[in-house]
Amino acid sequence: MTMIENSADAQNEEAIAAAVTGLRLKFPDERSFVFKDLSLSILRGEKVLLLGPSGCGKSTLLQVLGGLIPHVIEVPLRAEEIVVPRSRGYVFQDPDTQFCMPYVDEELAFVLENRGIKRELMIPQMRKVLAAVGLLLDELHVPVDSLSQGMKQRLALASVLLLEPEVIFLDEPSALLDPDGREQMWEAVWRAAEGRTLIVVEHRIEEMADRVDRIILFAPDGSIIGDGSPEWIFRNFRKELQQYGIWYPGVWEDFFRILEMRQTEQRSMMPGQQDPLLALRQFTGFRADHPVIEVQAAEIYPGDFIAVTGPNGAGKSSLLLSLMCLLRFSGHYRLCGELMPETAGARRKERKKAGPPSDRIGYVFQNPEFQFVAETVMDEIGFSMKTREYASSEQVDEKTRDFLHSFHLVGLEHRHPYQLSTGQKRRLSMAAAVVCGQSILLLDEPTFGQDARNTFAILNYCMEMQAEGAAIVMVTHEEGIARHIASRVWEVRNGVLKEGTPAGREQPEMRVGT
Amino acid sequence: MIELLTPTRSTILQHANPAVKLALFVALFFVTVQTRNIDFAMDQAIVYTLLLFILGGFPLRKTLLLVIPFFLLFVSSSITMVLFGKGDTLWWQWGLLRITEESFYRGMHLGFRSIAFAAEGLLFVSTTSSVRLFYALMQSFKLAPKFAYSFMASIRLLPMVWEEFLNRRQALQVRGARVKGKGMKGLAEHIRLYAVPLLSQSIRRAHRVAVAMEAKQFDGKGPRTYFYPSKISWMDGISIILLVIAPCLAYMASLSFQWFGIADVRYHP
Repeated sequence: MTMIENSADAQNEEAIAAAVTGLRLKFPDERSFVFKDLSLSILRGEKVLLLGPSGCGKSTLLQVLGGLIPHVIEVPLRAEEIVVPRSRGYVFQDPDTQFCMPYVDEELAFVLENRGIKRELMIPQMRKVLAAVGLLLDELHVPVDSLSQGMKQRLALASVLLLEPEVIFLDEPSALLDPDGREQMWEAVWRAAEGRTLIVVEHRIEEMADRVDRIILFAPDGSIIGDGSPEWIFRNFRKELQQYGIWYPGVWEDFFRILEMRQTEQRSMMPGQQDPLLALRQFTGFRADHPVIEVQAAEIYPGDFIAVTGPNGAGKSSLLLSLMCLLRFSGHYRLCGELMPETAGARRKERKKAGPPSDRIGYVFQNPEFQFVAETVMDEIGFSMKTREYASSEQVDEKTRDFLHSFHLVGLEHRHPYQLSTGQKRRLSMAAAVVCGQSILLLDEPTFGQDARNTFAILNYCMEMQAEGAAIVMVTHEEGIARHIASRVWEVRNGVLKEGTPAGREQPEMRVGT
Repeated sequence: MIELLTPTRSTILQHANPAVKLALFVALFFVTVQTRNIDFAMDQAIVYTLLLFILGGFPLRKTLLLVIPFFLLFVSSSITMVLFGKGDTLWWQWGLLRITEESFYRGMHLGFRSIAFAAEGLLFVSTTSSVRLFYALMQSFKLAPKFAYSFMASIRLLPMVWEEFLNRRQALQVRGARVKGKGMKGLAEHIRLYAVPLLSQSIRRAHRVAVAMEAKQFDGKGPRTYFYPSKISWMDGISIILLVIAPCLAYMASLSFQWFGIADVRYHP
């Protein structure tokens, strides 16, 4: 392996902030190259967005440009030249794994300590950068975990500013944020990036794409297919953006257009008045003996698509967990005509006997990895059927193949579930959850952190099941879903459930007064 | 868990330099380990438990709650020695169980020492924040920042692992995955179902934190400054005096009130 590295200030390259020439990079266990002879240079002061499908190597490139590869993360690579900016800062995707200290001031101090800044100068500097990212805390000694995810990302940005970087690298910083958090974070980024170079990898570009100077579009094989102004890219590469699952501005509208064409055919199939699949009266869910969710009255009918919305920590997940009998509950809970025994206050033995009603409700967890139980994709899908002695092994096999096909997992049968891509994991977790033909499907933020293509694929599956008469209950922050796709909206605020109306469109299939 | 053990009361020991305090407590531990006199052991247990109430970082009710298991600790650490220990003066015998005078007192002595250890440990933990301790160790004992910050980062990650464990348990319930087999086989199955996902998640998370730390120019070498200075103040003087007086007091008490009157509980046939 040979590597030549120059610092930015060498020779007459004053204008170049970061660059690679003839980069070849390959992960040790993989057959194909991530990059083959890639060349790219970014000028000082440019705000650049790297776009491309998941897995095309954008994040890897970002790490090469910022010098993390190969100095911190060892990956074999070869390049004629790599120009790494002398000072740089990173904001990563996951707000929870960027900090090593428990308190805000300690975390910021960590950066200042690394730079050897004198103790007396620390507090004023912290206040300055926190103000710069719009985090106005009266007291600096605040636990990092008491901040919202969006605030954590701004804290990460603040600690980057303490490095006084020439170039700021952002690696999908808004993927795990809700819409409010995203907006505030980008606000802070633009303010912070003034006079600096900014290199961003991001899928959710609705809020920010119009403010970058340049977009570099990558193909799945890691080659550059487009490099130019945002307008030019959006004009000429709309199809690619769609294909690559990028949240370009107007992506929802395009999706709805496709939907509308389909829905006109389906609407006639919507079932009429039927018995509710699930009915709640005076229902309360408990977490460690504290009531966390209260429902006066609610029903779920076949063919419902319910979006559960509300701020973080309001009790949305608790609602799903208590419907699944994973949290104790009191009150009236009727599932498919059968009354579920109260578990709050019940004896341990009775509780143990109750168990979650997985035969009637499918549950998709937020992190797909946690629900995997088998060693291969094939077994994972078949698992639930086998444990319930659902059918003979041939039938299980046949049904599994059906599901592999309809969830686009063919060819991956013998992979370990952990070795799939994020989108594939999500699809597998859904396939495994619904394989027994449950009539209700609960999903806890299934589209969280997914690219547009995966999100629409998930929604498509849900809507197919809805059309077949299943009921979908989905916790989501995505306004597009709540507003246009769901047939009903449940709003959870401070642990209380309220039936809302999906704003923004007429609802011919809305049930009124049920 | 973490919130439960966060001190809420501010006492003089809390303001003492953690490095000094650590050295002091190591000395106290050593004294307790070397105690052979049963009266001294008992008096230490009493004095340190009292100190825990007076100088510990927890409010009275929580301290009481934490002290309840001391009784269990006493019984569990003394019982084997009482029942099976060597000795000549036989009091009671039934099959293998054999209580002798010597083994009984040695058991009591063990029990008192366990309480003394527990009280000392709690006293230290309840008055010391881990971050301050590592800062003091880096500055006073030249602990490599590499290790200190890794520890502090991993403490931050612990609650996440617990939360994930709960998530995993719920997911397994939903999927209907039951642990098959008992004994070793069941244990292996448990490990497969829990350890693999939790570990893979933790390793990935640790890796991400490590990369983020290095991206913030943390290289573990080179000069650094410290946000929390490791200062020696008059508080340390008072703490030292208090923590030296405590065992002395216990020792004096053991000389004046000889409840058991056994200077050396070890067995000399």
